[in-house]
Amino acid sequence: MFLRLVADSFGRRPRHKLLTGAALALGMAVVTAALSVSLDVGDRLAKEFRSLGANLVVTPQADSLPLEIGGVDYRPVNAGAYLPEADLGKLKTIFWHNNIVGFAPILEVPVRTAILPKTISSAFAPSLSTTLIGTWSQHSIWTPDLQTRFVTGIEKTNPWWSVEGRWFSEDAAECVIGVNFARKTGRHIGDAILVQDGDKGQILEVAGILSSGGPEDDAVVAPIAIAQKISDKPGEYRRLYVSALTKPEDAFAKRDPKTFAPAEYDRWFCTPYISSIAFQIQQELPGTDVRVIRRVAEGEGQILTRVRMLLWLVTGAALLAAALAVGASSAASVIERRTEIGLMKALGAGSGTVGFLLAAEQLLLAFVGGGIGYALGILLARLLGQRIFGVAPEPTLLVFLVVIGLAATVTLLGCAIPLRRASRYAPAPILRGE
Amino acid sequence: MADLRATNRAMFWRIIRRLLGANRGRVLVILLALGAGAAITAALLNLQVDAKRRLTSEFLAFGSNVIVAPRNAPDRTAESTTLEETLLDQVPATNEGNEVVRTGFLYLVADVTAFSSNTNSDAAERETPVVVTGYTGGAQQQMLDSSPTAPAIQTDGLPYCNLGARAASQLHVKMHDKLVLRNGKTEETCSVWYVLPYGGQEDNQIFVNIRTAQHLAGLPGRLSLVQATVLGTPQSIERYVAGLQQRLPNVDVRPIRQFTEGEARIYNRISGLLTATVGIVLLLTGLCVMAAMTNVAMERKMDVGLMKAIGGSVRRVLRLFLVEAALLGIAGGLIGGAAGIFLSIGLGKAVFGVAARPRLIVYPISVGLTVFVAILSAFPLRRLASIRPASLFRGEA
Repeated sequence: MFLRLVADSFGRRPRHKLLTGAALALGMAVVTAALSVSLDVGDRLAKEFRSLGANLVVTPQADSLPLEIGGVDYRPVNAGAYLPEADLGKLKTIFWHNNIVGFAPILEVPVRTAILPKTISSAFAPSLSTTLIGTWSQHSIWTPDLQTRFVTGIEKTNPWWSVEGRWFSEDAAECVIGVNFARKTGRHIGDAILVQDGDKGQILEVAGILSSGGPEDDAVVAPIAIAQKISDKPGEYRRLYVSALTKPEDAFAKRDPKTFAPAEYDRWFCTPYISSIAFQIQQELPGTDVRVIRRVAEGEGQILTRVRMLLWLVTGAALLAAALAVGASSAASVIERRTEIGLMKALGAGSGTVGFLLAAEQLLLAFVGGGIGYALGILLARLLGQRIFGVAPEPTLLVFLVVIGLAATVTLLGCAIPLRRASRYAPAPILRGE
Repeated sequence: MADLRATNRAMFWRIIRRLLGANRGRVLVILLALGAGAAITAALLNLQVDAKRRLTSEFLAFGSNVIVAPRNAPDRTAESTTLEETLLDQVPATNEGNEVVRTGFLYLVADVTAFSSNTNSDAAERETPVVVTGYTGGAQQQMLDSSPTAPAIQTDGLPYCNLGARAASQLHVKMHDKLVLRNGKTEETCSVWYVLPYGGQEDNQIFVNIRTAQHLAGLPGRLSLVQATVLGTPQSIERYVAGLQQRLPNVDVRPIRQFTEGEARIYNRISGLLTATVGIVLLLTGLCVMAAMTNVAMERKMDVGLMKAIGGSVRRVLRLFLVEAALLGIAGGLIGGAAGIFLSIGLGKAVFGVAARPRLIVYPISVGLTVFVAILSAFPLRRLASIRPASLFRGEA
């Protein structure tokens, strides 16, 4: 009889139930979309922030002080220490290796460049001193732990460098020249230049023109192997840039790791704070100084925290508003049925039975409406994610559970108040129409 | 005829009064729902308007994003590789209402000798070449460091200098140690005020007052470059740079692409996100108001039946309900909007650490929106037009 009553209630007034269900579905759709986007936004924005480039820099511990002004190091070539390039694969073995988006070693060599004539008959242009930056463009590293190859390079750590033409390939005698250098020497893509330091020289073909907005605009960028050969430093580099996804530093992360109790230390180590990633890199690459590029890291942390908070606030407001709306409409649906309630009570149903019946109806509505709302909301979230970040957020079970739970709670709460009043109804006056 | 119209109008308002007054509790509930919708709209809209503006000032943390440097000249004399100090004043101090932080820098390599203060022996260590950076003004805090420890006035009369972390560890110096900077025959002494890790090439440098650096370098009134922190939307930064390039044709003005491009990307993403939240907020307001108004419609069935039975035209009955909806919307919007704006002040404080400035434009928008949605959601009442009074009163509908 109970089920029949419930089924009857839906069958008798389908339009009315549809309206309540639609309000529910719409509310839950908005909640789903807001929740999905909020859950996803931290990761997405953290990735966006990587467009600022590397946030860690690794230098040799024993290095002498670089005398760098405007991107040119005024130290004699042989001064200072170098690091072995072969060790770099270890970076992908640290605890947070998945958070390491990219890294690229740098070896800078002051060189003289001579512009090779295009034809035999034209004269050699005068030579020009500049910096040869040896680095990786598309370097593939075998990571032993993961059994995969990881491709990284300067594009990952300095994403604002734009190249007209293409990057040099790692195993060819090619280079990319800075836009100012190209203008000064009148070189174009496909031309050749000669770089030399002392008696060692190399002819490089120009594969692309680099514009970075920095001192690299005056430099020549080539595969690190060529820079190593010219400077006679085989297999070595001087500076390493690392770009890592991190969690914004909170008060806990700003403490000195040396003061941590063992449990705190574990928590710090197992959280992708920039300081703990720096620490792990230092452990893997002995003899190095790993420093946080604070300009990048701190700005990132601040903005991430704020945006995330703002979004949670909006999500909270969305939850509240949806709850209000859905609660109101389910309250209305109970009030409407005063006559019915009166009749049931007149026939001998107790307040409990009546309440149970109505609650069951509402719950059924909540599950159906919530389910449809969830599906709609996922579509909405995909649309938003696609438009804003170009990537749709993954649907998660958590959101589904929260949405269904919320729908049930809100509809039950919404009908609880009118139900309490209904339980006090005396059947006779209602049936008389008073 | 005019008489009849006047009577009609009087009757119209009388019915409206009755409709609103008949069930006070009901009206209160609807007002609450409308008010809540308006409050949430107003609060979030206000926060949103504020957030876009706030966001650009958050980029201050990234430091300078525009560089003014000498053009690369073929002859590398001191005049061609440095700038006139007066150029600093030619860089506009504001960009569309935001302050532009400008700092001039002069770089040189000096031989540095450190004297440790606690050995007292003045035993000099050997000279180390270090990059010495002179800077103008107190604005360097923002340019170099986002969490500064404010330097106080030194008591020993020596000019103070600040060290990057690596420079300090290489020279084995701490706070209050003395440094002698020598360039050729010129010497300057300074006392170390603070040591900070910057995470950039600044870590290898010693920072001194611009006058000290100019004296050391023998370049009075010259600067190596000027850095500026320009806040604003990506477009407004571009305009600023373009304007500056026109104004200073003889020097090289360029944005630091790492930051201007990164900031632009992030700004666009976040502002897209904020726009999406406005969409969500509007949808929710509609939902809240709609839920409230559906209740009204359900209740009015009997009234409509009666009005139609005694000869009310469908249009007139409908107008009656639309006016009621509009009145409710205005009242709910006015109350809720005001509450929302106050709410957003507190919320702004929670999110950005600074109270959101109430934007007056938000108020009429949220009230208007509430009224609009209230009227729109009263339209399901149209269904009431098809009610057949007779069957309603028989209890069939």
